[in-house]
Amino acid sequence: MSNLEKLRAELKQLNSEYTKIKTLPPEERGEFGRMMNQKKQKLLSEIERAEADAESVAVEPLDISAPAAPNQPLPVIQRGTKHPLMVELDRVIEVYSAMGFDVMESRQLDDEFHMFDSLNFPAGHPARDGYDTFRTSEGFIPPAHTSTMQHRALRKYKSKLEQGGQIAVVIPGRVFRNEDADATHEHTFYQCEGVFVSKDATMGQLFGILRQFFEGYYGQKLELKTQPGYFPFTEPSAEFLIEKPACLGGKGYLEMGGCGMIHPNVLKMADIDPEKYHGFAWGGGIDRLAMLKYGLSDVRYFESGKLDFLEEF
Amino acid sequence: MKISLNEIKKYVQIPQNTSDQDLIDLIGSRLVEIEEVIDLAPRYQGCYVAKVVNCEPIPDTHLHLCQIDAGEHNNEFNQLDNGLVQVVCGAPNVHAGMLAVWITPGSIVPETYGNENFKLSVRKLRGYESNGMLAGADELGFDTEHKAIAEIDPKTAQLGDALSDVFDLNDLILDVENKSLTHRPDCFGLIGFAREVAGILGVKFQEPSVFADLDKANLTVSGEVKLDVQITDDELCPRYSCTVFDLPKNSPSKYLTSEAVFLAKAGMRAIDPIVDLTNILMLQTGQPLHAFDYDKLVQVGDSATPKIIVRAAQDGENLQLLDGKTIACTSDDILITSNNVPVALAGAMGGKNTEVDVSTKRIVLESATFSLYRLRKTQMAHGIFSEAITRFTKGQPAAITLPVLAEAVRQLGVQPLASADDYPSKTSVNVVNITTSSINGLLGTDYDEKTIIETLDNVGFRVKSGATLEVTVPGWRTDVHLPEDIIEEVGRLLGYDNIAMVLPTKPLLEPEIDSMVRLKRELREILSSRLGMHELLTYSFVHRDLIAKVGKDPEDCYQIVNSISPDLQCFRSEIVPSLLDKTRENLKAGHKSFTLYEMNQVARKSSGLTAENTPVTKTHLGIVDTSDFYTLKAKILAMFAELKIPVEYAALSSETAKHHPYLEPKRSAELFLDGQNIGAFGEVKTRVLSQFKLEAPITASEISLEQLATTPRVLQTQVRLSRFPAVERDLTLKVSHDMPFGRIATALQDGLDQQNLYYTLSPVSIYQATPDADTKNLSFHLKFSSPSQTLNASEISAIMDKIAKDLSSVGATIV
Repeated sequence: MSNLEKLRAELKQLNSEYTKIKTLPPEERGEFGRMMNQKKQKLLSEIERAEADAESVAVEPLDISAPAAPNQPLPVIQRGTKHPLMVELDRVIEVYSAMGFDVMESRQLDDEFHMFDSLNFPAGHPARDGYDTFRTSEGFIPPAHTSTMQHRALRKYKSKLEQGGQIAVVIPGRVFRNEDADATHEHTFYQCEGVFVSKDATMGQLFGILRQFFEGYYGQKLELKTQPGYFPFTEPSAEFLIEKPACLGGKGYLEMGGCGMIHPNVLKMADIDPEKYHGFAWGGGIDRLAMLKYGLSDVRYFESGKLDFLEEF
Repeated sequence: MKISLNEIKKYVQIPQNTSDQDLIDLIGSRLVEIEEVIDLAPRYQGCYVAKVVNCEPIPDTHLHLCQIDAGEHNNEFNQLDNGLVQVVCGAPNVHAGMLAVWITPGSIVPETYGNENFKLSVRKLRGYESNGMLAGADELGFDTEHKAIAEIDPKTAQLGDALSDVFDLNDLILDVENKSLTHRPDCFGLIGFAREVAGILGVKFQEPSVFADLDKANLTVSGEVKLDVQITDDELCPRYSCTVFDLPKNSPSKYLTSEAVFLAKAGMRAIDPIVDLTNILMLQTGQPLHAFDYDKLVQVGDSATPKIIVRAAQDGENLQLLDGKTIACTSDDILITSNNVPVALAGAMGGKNTEVDVSTKRIVLESATFSLYRLRKTQMAHGIFSEAITRFTKGQPAAITLPVLAEAVRQLGVQPLASADDYPSKTSVNVVNITTSSINGLLGTDYDEKTIIETLDNVGFRVKSGATLEVTVPGWRTDVHLPEDIIEEVGRLLGYDNIAMVLPTKPLLEPEIDSMVRLKRELREILSSRLGMHELLTYSFVHRDLIAKVGKDPEDCYQIVNSISPDLQCFRSEIVPSLLDKTRENLKAGHKSFTLYEMNQVARKSSGLTAENTPVTKTHLGIVDTSDFYTLKAKILAMFAELKIPVEYAALSSETAKHHPYLEPKRSAELFLDGQNIGAFGEVKTRVLSQFKLEAPITASEISLEQLATTPRVLQTQVRLSRFPAVERDLTLKVSHDMPFGRIATALQDGLDQQNLYYTLSPVSIYQATPDADTKNLSFHLKFSSPSQTLNASEISAIMDKIAKDLSSVGATIV
C-alpha cells in the first residue's frame, strides 16, 4: 500500500470515527469536534503533499535545449523582415512628422524643369553635370536628388503662407545617379529633402532644425557644424556635418548633406514673393544613415535582394 | 585642385596664434571642402643636396661609381676612408663636380611615398657598395619621364642642404573638392584662394599688383607689328586680349627649378620656360594663357600680319590638336582662327599648325575668356579635361584677361611688339545695394555695420555706408549679383558656425502625411511583422529582357538612353519580374520557402503623362511566393483584412490577364476595390517560370496601391458579442463536384444574415473521395447566438432547418 493510499484510508477511518460525535454528551462534543478537526486538517495537508509528490513523479521532463520533442516535426515560425533602408526612412519620417513637418513623396521619373530649371540651374550650366543624370529617350529624368520636388512642394503649400502660416515639409524618395556602383557608390539610393518657408526664416533656424532632427533621430544632444557648399538653388549654401553620436562610437564629425537659404529665383518660380518670404531647404542620404547605423561597408547590399542580407537585421 | 599652403602664406600673413591645423579647419568650414591634406615633409625626409666629388665609369656597364659629399650627413652612413659616401649611379648626366639629390639609405623614394613605399638600402651593384641613390626628377615626383638625375643649381643650394629647405617642401598640400567652388572662378587661382583665406582670418588682403587695379592694366607697345583681333559674337567670347613679342633667347635651365617644383605641387609638369610661365600664371591668377607661334599663325592664315578671328565652329570642321589628334568640330565649339583658318579649339587645346617649338622666334600670347556653356559642351564632346578648361568652364572673369597678360609680359621681361584687346560689351561696375538688417534678417545674426563692411572690404568689395550699403563688387567676382550673394559672403566669411541655432515658432498642427507614405508604412508592418514576408528593394532600371520574359512589352517602358549598362536600360513597368529574378537567386542561395515583396514606383508609356507633362508613375506592391495559390490568397486576404479595406476577388478576366500575362489565368484571381480592378494574384505560368529557371509552384501578385492609399478604412461600428450562450454546430454539405465553394459559402452567409443572429462561419475541410467523384463534401464550423435571449432546443432546430432549406436551394444537402 502506497503512502497516499494509506493516508486516504486513515482519512476515511477518521471520517467514520467522527460520526461518534452524535453519541457523546453535548458538553464533550465541542472538545471532540476540535480534536477530530485538527487531525483531519493535518491528514488533509499530508494527503495534498503526497498527491503533489505522486504527480511530479508522473510528469516527464523536457529537453528544453532541443528544438522539438523526439519524433515530432520542428515548429515553423515564419519570420518576416522589413528592409533596413525603409525602416530608416520610416524613422526619419517619424522624427520629422513629430516635429510638425508635412510629408510628401518624391517622384521617380521627372523632367528637366523640376530637376534643374525650377531650381535656378541656368540652361546648359556645368553645375548640371555634377548630377550625372540618367535620361529617357523622351528627355525625362529619373531625378538625381529629391530637390526635384521643391518646386511642387512650394506650390502645393503656398496657400499656407497666404493664410499666415509656414511651409514645413519633408520629401523622402528614391534618386538615381549615372555612375558605376562600388562599395560606396550606388546608382540608386534614397534621400530626404526638407523645405521650410516663412516670413522670418533664418539660417540660424535652418541649423536649429537640422540639429533638432539629428538629436531626435539619435536620441542625444549633438553638435552641428557646416562647411561651404555650392548649390544653384540655395544662397547662402552650406554642407552640414554632425558630431558622431555616442551610439556610433563618438569622435569626429559625419557629413550629412547639403543645405541653404532657398534662392530668391526658386521662390519666384513658384510665385512666392522673395521680398515677403524667406525659406531654407536641405537634403541628405538615407543609405548613409543606415550604413552608419548597421556598420555596413558595402552600399550595394541594399538593392541586392538577398535574404541572407535581410536576415541579418 | 591642389593648393599649397606655403604658397597661400606668401600672400597672406597668418596670425601667430593660428596653427596650420586651425587654418585648414577654417578653410574647410568657410571656403571649400578639403578632401585630403598631403604633408610633403615626410615624403622628402632623407633627401639631401650632395656634391659628386669623384665619378668613375664602371667598366663594361653604363654605371658610374661616385663618391659624394653631403657634408655632415656623410657620417650618418657608411663613409669611405676619405669621408665621402659611395653611390653607384646609372644616369648619363652624372659627372664630378655637380650637385645632385641624394636619397639616403633607409629613406623612401618620394615618388613611391604613400603607394609602394620603396625603401632604399645599402646594397651591392656589380660588386660595388651603393648607399641609397642619386635621384632623377621623376623619382622625386617632379616629372613623369626618367631622363637623367636632377642637377641642383649651385647658386640656390649647398651640399648638405635638405632638399625640402631648398625647394620649400615642408609644405601641406590641400586637395580641395572642385565642385563646391563651381561658382567661384576666382578661387581657381592661388591669389583668389589666398584672398578668401585672408577674409576668413578677418585680415585685409594685400592685393598683388596684377589685380591691384584691373582697369589700369595695359601693355606699352613698341614696334611696327600689326595685330588684328575680331570676336564675331561676344556670347562666344566676352573678351580676347593678346600680345606679340619676340621670344627671349634663354635656353631651358639644366637644373631642377623651383618652377618645376611649384608646378609639381599643383599636379602639373615643367615643359619649357614659356609654357611653364603661362601655367604658373594660370595657377596663380586662374587665367589660362595660350601661346601661338607667330610665324606659323601668319602663314596658316595667309595674311601679311596676324588676323585673329574668334568664331563658332561649323559642324564637321576639322582641326589637328597639339596632342596630334584630329577632331571634327561641332557647331557648339568655339574656334580661334587665323584669318578664318582654325588654329585652336578655344579654351581646350591649341592647334598643331601653330605649335610653339624649338624654331619659334616670335610669340602671340592669348589671354581670353569664353562662354562656359559652350566650353562645357566642347569638354564633353571631345573629352578634354585639362587644367585650363577646368578653369574656363567656371567662367573666367573678363576683367582679368588683360591684367594677367600684362603680368606675363612683365615676368618674361619682354617688349610687346603689338597688342590687341577686343572687349565688345565691357561689363559695367557691378553695385549691389543691401541693408544691415536684411543681412542679419536672413542669417539670424546681429552683426553691426562696421563688422559687415570690414568683412567685405577684406576680400576686395568696396562698401559705401549709409541707410543702405552700396557694395561695389570686384571685377573677379562674376558670381555676385544679388543681395543674397552678399549675405552669403558675410555669413560664410564670419562663419556659419557662429550663427546661433534657434527653432522657428510654429502653430501646433497635425502634419499632413502623404497617404502613400502612410500606406506603405502600414503594409510594411502587416506584411513583414504579421505575415512573415521579406521586403526587398530592387533597381527601378531593368534589362528589357526581364520585361519580355514575363510577356510584357519592353517598348511600353521608358528607355534610359545613357545607362552605364544594358542591365539598366528600361524604367520598369512592374515589380514582379525583379522579384522573380531574386526568387531564383535566393533559392540558389539555399532558402527554401519564402515570400518576397517590394513597394515601389513603376511607369508605363501607355499610362500617358500627368497634367504637368511628366510620366504617370504608380506605386505598386509586388509579391512573389514559393507556395501555392491558396497560401498566397490567404495572405493577400489577411493583408486586406488587416488594412480594413474591403476588396473583392474574382477569376481573372481576359482583359486583366493581358496586364498580368505571366499569371496562369485558370489558376489566378483579380482584385477589385469599389468595382475597380486594382491588381491580380495567382500561379505563375510554367513557361514563364522556366525562363527564370524556376519550378512550380511559384505564385505572384502585382497590386496598384494608388487607389488603396486614398480609400477610407471601414471602422467597425458594433461589437457583435452576445451575453447569451452560443450554439456550436459542425456542418458537412454534400455538393456536386463542380460546385464553387464560394457559392455555397455565400448562400450560407446570406441565409444566416436574414436570421437575427450573431455568428461565425469557418471552413473546415473540402473532401472529395476520388478525383473523378461526382460529389464532394464541404465542412464548416458554425457558432451562433441570439443577441437577445438564450436559444432553446426548438429555436435552434428552427434555425438549422432554415439553413438546410437555404442550402438545398443551391443544391447542397446537409450530411
